[in-house]
Amino acid sequence: MSSTRKIIVVTNAFLFSSGIESLALELSGLLVEHVYTGSEKKLSQKIIGAKPEFVIIDPEAIKDSLIPLLRELNEDPEIITIGLVNSSTSDNIISRFSNTLNTTGNKFQLIEELQRIVGKEVAKSDNEQLISKRETEILKYLVMGYTNQDVADKLFLSIHTVMTHRKKINRKLGIKTVSGLTVYALMNNIVDIREVERSI
Amino acid sequence: MLLEKDMKLADIIIHDISLVPVISRFGILLGFGDESIEGVCKKKSIDIDFLLTILNAFHDPQYLDKKYLQSFSVDLLIQYLRKTHQYYLSNKIPEIECLIDKMELESTIDKSSYQLLQKFFKDYKTELVKHIDREEKVVYPYVLELNNAIANDEITSSLIEKIKKYSIKSYEEEHDNVEEKLTDLKNIIIKYLSPSQNQQSRFRLLKELTALEKDLAEHAIIEDLILVPKVELLEKNVLIS
Repeated sequence: MSSTRKIIVVTNAFLFSSGIESLALELSGLLVEHVYTGSEKKLSQKIIGAKPEFVIIDPEAIKDSLIPLLRELNEDPEIITIGLVNSSTSDNIISRFSNTLNTTGNKFQLIEELQRIVGKEVAKSDNEQLISKRETEILKYLVMGYTNQDVADKLFLSIHTVMTHRKKINRKLGIKTVSGLTVYALMNNIVDIREVERSI
Repeated sequence: MLLEKDMKLADIIIHDISLVPVISRFGILLGFGDESIEGVCKKKSIDIDFLLTILNAFHDPQYLDKKYLQSFSVDLLIQYLRKTHQYYLSNKIPEIECLIDKMELESTIDKSSYQLLQKFFKDYKTELVKHIDREEKVVYPYVLELNNAIANDEITSSLIEKIKKYSIKSYEEEHDNVEEKLTDLKNIIIKYLSPSQNQQSRFRLLKELTALEKDLAEHAIIEDLILVPKVELLEKNVLIS
């Protein structure tokens, strides 16, 4: 899983800030950390201090100090600036952002654009690597009908450790009951149907 | 949103269609016209406080209004709970079974996975039937016995013994887990069943499972927050007298 990637938004318009927050929700791993208005004092220091990966700016919110602000932000190699633009935004302004989002776009277009800017898709989880080797071993015994104590004895673990593993398995797979785990284990060939026949 | 008696029933249903099976348990069938909840209740002689409590509990449990708890009878409540059991056994469960069977039949490569789902759901059904059976044969008769004894002022010593041995509290502790299995099943379908062309059937199955899950959760809320407190009050009354 990639870690969270922070966005800071600069706008006075509630519709923009809430719209961007809802777009960020669509792309997992993105988080709008802060929304500033254009009149925020020491804006550039605050933004740079927060170490965001993306700064989305509504040029209307800043007007006069926009160009100095962008100059400062663009000097930081870690920050990607994104301008909220429309057809009447001047080329002089557009060219100063490293990327733009067209505010007249529909949801689908905006997601596409944002995804292109943000780049890499979230890594897809891989079934096989979802639970660790040890957890798989414990899962196998559980679905074969062994109790926590049996598993602890077999693997020379404390019962407490077995329970911790068990909780992790439940959380990782999203499956809590033994019958559910059994279906998972059989589907993934972790156990053979004959090995679980007694318990299901 | 809190549902109130002067709201039009049609507006409420369009807002939350999962209430359709709930009103049908009260004998209100679609095509009921443009009346308020109160109007519909008058026509059908339905206890309005009871209907509102159930609708609110189902729609948004946050709004479960405790002030009405005492205003309707235990008989009504049990009648309603029995109807929900009937609905699970004769509608929901067969519908879901049918969907899984259909998927198994149509599957070509991954047949054994669907057979596992069939087996899982069959076991689930057995468990649910056992759970329902116990409520209908032990819990509800006990509650009705209590209620009758108080109504007719015929409190026997054997009844008092019964309360001491088996109070409603012990029943409260035994029921859960029936919902957990449904969540597991949903996760298996969403995450682990290998992808195939039958997406539409899977979607329908997930919708049915979600609806059953919601209905069971509401059933449990009504039992825990309405039935159990009411019965505890009855038990107290018997023991005091």
